[in-house]
Amino acid sequence: MRIVVGEGSCGIAAGAGKVYDALKALITPDDSFSLEITGCIGMCFLEPIVDIYEGEDLLTRLVHVEAKDAEKIVDAVKAGDLEAIESLKIKDDDASFLTQQTRIALRNCGIIDPTDIKSYKAKDGYKALEKVLKTMTPEEVIEEIKTSGLAGRGGAGFPTWFKWNAARGSKGEEKYLICNADEGDPGAFMDRAVIESDPHNLIEGMLIAAYAIGAKEAIVYVRAEYPLAIVRLENAIAQATEEGLIGDHIMGTDFSCKFRYMAGAGAFVCGEETALIESLEGKRGMPRLKPPFPAAAGYRLKPSNINNVETFANVAWIINNGGEAFAAMGTEGSKGTKVFALTGKVKRGGLVEIPMGQTLRHVIFDIGGGIRNEKKIKAVQMGGPSGGCIPENLLDTVIDYKALSATGAIMGSGGMVVMDENTCMVGMARFFLDFTSKESCGKCVHCRIGTKRMLEILTRIVNGEGEEGDIELLEELCNAIKDGALCGLGQTAPNPVLTTIRYFRDEYEAHIKEKKCPAKECVELLSYHIDPEKCKGCTMCAKKCPVQAISGEVKNPHEIDQNVCIKCGQCYTLCKFGAISVE
Amino acid sequence: MSEIKITIDGIECVAQTGETILDIAKKNGIYIPTLCHDESVAKYGACGLCLVEGEGLPKLMRACSTFPADGWVLHTDSDRVLRARKVALELLMSDHDGDCKGPCSLNCPAGTDCMAYVNQIAKGNYHEAVKIIKEKFPFPASIGHVCPHPCEDACRRQYVEASISIAYLKRFAGLKDLEKDTWKPEVAPETGKKVAIIGGGPAGMTAAYFLRTYGHQVTVYDAMPNMGGMLRYGIPEYRLPKKVVDREVKEIEDLGVELKNNVKIGKDISLDEIRKAADATILAIGCWVSTKVGCPGEEAEGVLGGIDFLRQNILGTPYDIAGKNVAIVGGGNTAMDACRSAVRLGAENVYVIYRRTRNEMPADDEEIEEAIEEGVQFKFLTNPAEILSENGHVTEIKLQVMELGEPDASGRRSPVPVEGKFETLKVDNVIAAIGQKVNPEGVDVELTNRGVIAADENTFRTNLEDVFAVGDAIKTGDRIAIAAIGTANKAADVVDSYLKGELVPYRKPFYSERDLETVKAELAQKEKQARVKVPKRPAEERKKDFNDIVIELSEEEVQKEAARCLECGCHDFHDCTLIECANCMEICPSRLKGEIHPGFVETKLITIERNQNKCVLCNLCVRTCDEVAKKGILGLVGRGFTTVIKPEFNDPKTIEGCKDCHKCFDICPTGALKLLQ
Repeated sequence: MRIVVGEGSCGIAAGAGKVYDALKALITPDDSFSLEITGCIGMCFLEPIVDIYEGEDLLTRLVHVEAKDAEKIVDAVKAGDLEAIESLKIKDDDASFLTQQTRIALRNCGIIDPTDIKSYKAKDGYKALEKVLKTMTPEEVIEEIKTSGLAGRGGAGFPTWFKWNAARGSKGEEKYLICNADEGDPGAFMDRAVIESDPHNLIEGMLIAAYAIGAKEAIVYVRAEYPLAIVRLENAIAQATEEGLIGDHIMGTDFSCKFRYMAGAGAFVCGEETALIESLEGKRGMPRLKPPFPAAAGYRLKPSNINNVETFANVAWIINNGGEAFAAMGTEGSKGTKVFALTGKVKRGGLVEIPMGQTLRHVIFDIGGGIRNEKKIKAVQMGGPSGGCIPENLLDTVIDYKALSATGAIMGSGGMVVMDENTCMVGMARFFLDFTSKESCGKCVHCRIGTKRMLEILTRIVNGEGEEGDIELLEELCNAIKDGALCGLGQTAPNPVLTTIRYFRDEYEAHIKEKKCPAKECVELLSYHIDPEKCKGCTMCAKKCPVQAISGEVKNPHEIDQNVCIKCGQCYTLCKFGAISVE
Repeated sequence: MSEIKITIDGIECVAQTGETILDIAKKNGIYIPTLCHDESVAKYGACGLCLVEGEGLPKLMRACSTFPADGWVLHTDSDRVLRARKVALELLMSDHDGDCKGPCSLNCPAGTDCMAYVNQIAKGNYHEAVKIIKEKFPFPASIGHVCPHPCEDACRRQYVEASISIAYLKRFAGLKDLEKDTWKPEVAPETGKKVAIIGGGPAGMTAAYFLRTYGHQVTVYDAMPNMGGMLRYGIPEYRLPKKVVDREVKEIEDLGVELKNNVKIGKDISLDEIRKAADATILAIGCWVSTKVGCPGEEAEGVLGGIDFLRQNILGTPYDIAGKNVAIVGGGNTAMDACRSAVRLGAENVYVIYRRTRNEMPADDEEIEEAIEEGVQFKFLTNPAEILSENGHVTEIKLQVMELGEPDASGRRSPVPVEGKFETLKVDNVIAAIGQKVNPEGVDVELTNRGVIAADENTFRTNLEDVFAVGDAIKTGDRIAIAAIGTANKAADVVDSYLKGELVPYRKPFYSERDLETVKAELAQKEKQARVKVPKRPAEERKKDFNDIVIELSEEEVQKEAARCLECGCHDFHDCTLIECANCMEICPSRLKGEIHPGFVETKLITIERNQNKCVLCNLCVRTCDEVAKKGILGLVGRGFTTVIKPEFNDPKTIEGCKDCHKCFDICPTGALKLLQ
């Protein structure tokens, strides 16, 4: 038997490292079972997770495991009595989170050991590369990708084959293949999971792409905030190099390709491909004017192709299984599967890979299990700072590039943040504008000053200082910024505002005209009151109030001094008698 | 390279592949604004001003960096383009912490570049100063004598200790210039167009001056024996010697302006006759009718209009008021001119009846002070209730005692009568100096319901297509000479455009202005330098004659005073691409008012002062330093809104090497970089 601990970043954050150490301390070399690690299983809500395998068969999955459970687990495995640890076993309902998925890009995540190339090879790893190098011409590779219908998974959804073909067609001996692993959207962690959990899949996909476009060097631009991904990628590159999969005459063929990674500079804008190239060249990360497109003059002004991690993660599978198998999944315009990072007020958050064409409602309610605390769903935010909010009544929208764009949101890189009735949509828009304005590179006027002004207007609205005409002013700014900003980041920065105005205009109006936050989230617009009928005078609230705003005699109704109250809400959550209301 | 054909704003353009839309537009005389583009450095695309729209193309394109394909149909002024451009300009200006012009200039109704001429005066360049003044009006010396100087009201030096004595400096430079080598403007080649101007006052003569310099044939008609209007007939000699007006009128006449005096429109010649002989006619007839006191008994003999009183005096046929008691009603400068003239004519007791207090008086404080020195008695908080007479002649004036009530819309506390409280003064004459009205006799054009000539605010056109109107005759607010002039210099350009075939209305230019509170805080640290006091002849001496009351300062004193100027305006105003772009369309940056990027002023580049408050991050200095000068000294620091440009200074040798380059200064499109002398 094998005991496998899920050691992705989220697992480690939840304590998987301690669980692993505790298990390791109990296992001796004489034991008939082994202790291994794997990457991200994708069920953040159950971490730390420990899987028990017999060979390749998963016998049981243990969740919310703590270090103190180690002994019990080891004993159970030793005894071959897994029923002894039944209490740790995943519930069937939760297990459906994974069984409802179709995993291609994530196919090895949470299954193989990401630190061991053998583990990858055991799953047909590098077979696709071998097939490509030994039996296919670059044109045939591009044709296979074309058949698959694979489109860029970074957000824009541009056909992958077209970019490869353009780079291949560009004149010049010196070409570069670049992977954009600068995943920066708040709430998105698909790419991190792939690198941490299946780095060789990325390397193999990139080598195939490098072969297709004729690149002699492949570079992963990975954000510095992903230290574990960097460690595992570095390790994987070393192993692949050792095995002759990187370098000169790969697998004994004429194809040679160098491979390296570079840690990013910590700027969101470096996820924009031309800014990424600038950064890669050691310059300040600011977008370039297009044209020329990277396919013609990219890194070092040489023909370059840039794809996102998830895009590359599909490539080996497509080569192994054929483009048609990939294209068989999805919709007319969007083929294959898509990985989403499901987060927010949903019961089951984590990584979800499903075929295109399923509805948002399916993802949120069937896979995600619906909304926490039985609250109502209000909207789902897709595409991060570049995306938009899709309201509840549009949840039957299918996952498809075109259908999602029609709502004002975008497919994006896969961030899917679920919001319930207590989320203020103006505050949400403000959150994203705060992000984009801080992450603006500062180059173009529309983005640098425009997002700042939008943030200022949104801030005054949530602070109850909104003015008549602010909504229209925001819309005007949004449209001008969409038209005038230099790069995709600036051009899409207004989307969170535009979609919230489109679907939740009444919330904006309530803030501006009535100085009320319908979701009761905007602190400046709230006031807490004690109902004297319900207050028992237990003094609990007065004791806990951090600013001594509450006064009253024991066993007599208390009062809140509105001038002192800082609206922290502690009294509200504390009161056992429901005597405190918020308006 | 191959030839392509594209259309920009309906103009067919033939171009080569490899040329940008901006290149092609420029070649074909089509203006596309841009701030961050320069041919000497690589394309950059930051400012977003050069956006254009292509038919059938989804996104707006940056003209500076887009290579069009054959057959493209482009628009530089579609609604979508203008919207994006307008917002870009408003965003830029909302974040531009600089003053285009000094507040002195912005507060001058004629838009005179006070800071510029004061700076010339500081250097002793009086002719140069006059040249600058004459860009706006042709009466530097005369206006220097009489102007109530709104410029000084706005002067920021007052937040240090006191405003610059701008009006006196102008007077001094104007007189110096008239002494010898008087500066003369160039007159453009004759256009063959004729302009008739009715009224030779400051407004009419200003219009005449500019239209003449534009090459038109100008004739000025005036009912009075000499030109100058109210400058001549409304202002007493002791404030403005008439020889000064004569000299400045002569300068205008010398340019080839035909002057016809003693011609009364409607009597000697009709408006229609004048119109027939001219391509355009300008009415500058002023306000020559005194407003009546409006109390019972004012029909009595001895009740006079203020301007009538002043005019008779100047014409040499003064009213006989020697030894008499005279009451002047009103609190403006005309009232001051009248009371002080009355003193000089030998009146026994001179009273000023004013219904509010001294604080509310519209007259210059200095004028009031001097009048008091000369023995004028001020009856504040009184208002004429009745003029009593015997045998048809004034004997007494009954005054209603007033008190100040609540502030009115203008913020001034309005006077209200104290019921039943009166006082009387024994007087022989009552002079009403409470306002003037237009006398529309003979000029058959539409009037407003307030009795002034109805002229469009921006075209100055009356109801008659070829007839324009300027000056006091179209104004209802402050009727001061410089304001009348302000309408005339604008109207001159409008009339010029009309004569050239396409009437271009006046549009108020946009100027960047700093936040006053920020400026005040900065100025509080400034070292104080007292304002010069312009000496006057002693009251006892001056009240006996009509000679000029001012004792001229020395050149040294004048230059020292001028050197107090804080130079609030931007050194780069005339070369600033930013302000040129900002005025390419109507913008309103105040609606996007917000935080301003972190600014600072530093001189690390030794010979160049870098004012980051004015920087628009076009990055031209950085790119020029990198790509042209090959030095790489400057760089962007920070991210987003807080990005600033800073020099890299680890190696002192690098700075030395940068001293004589100045390429960054040359290319900066705003006043962010300043070459230190």
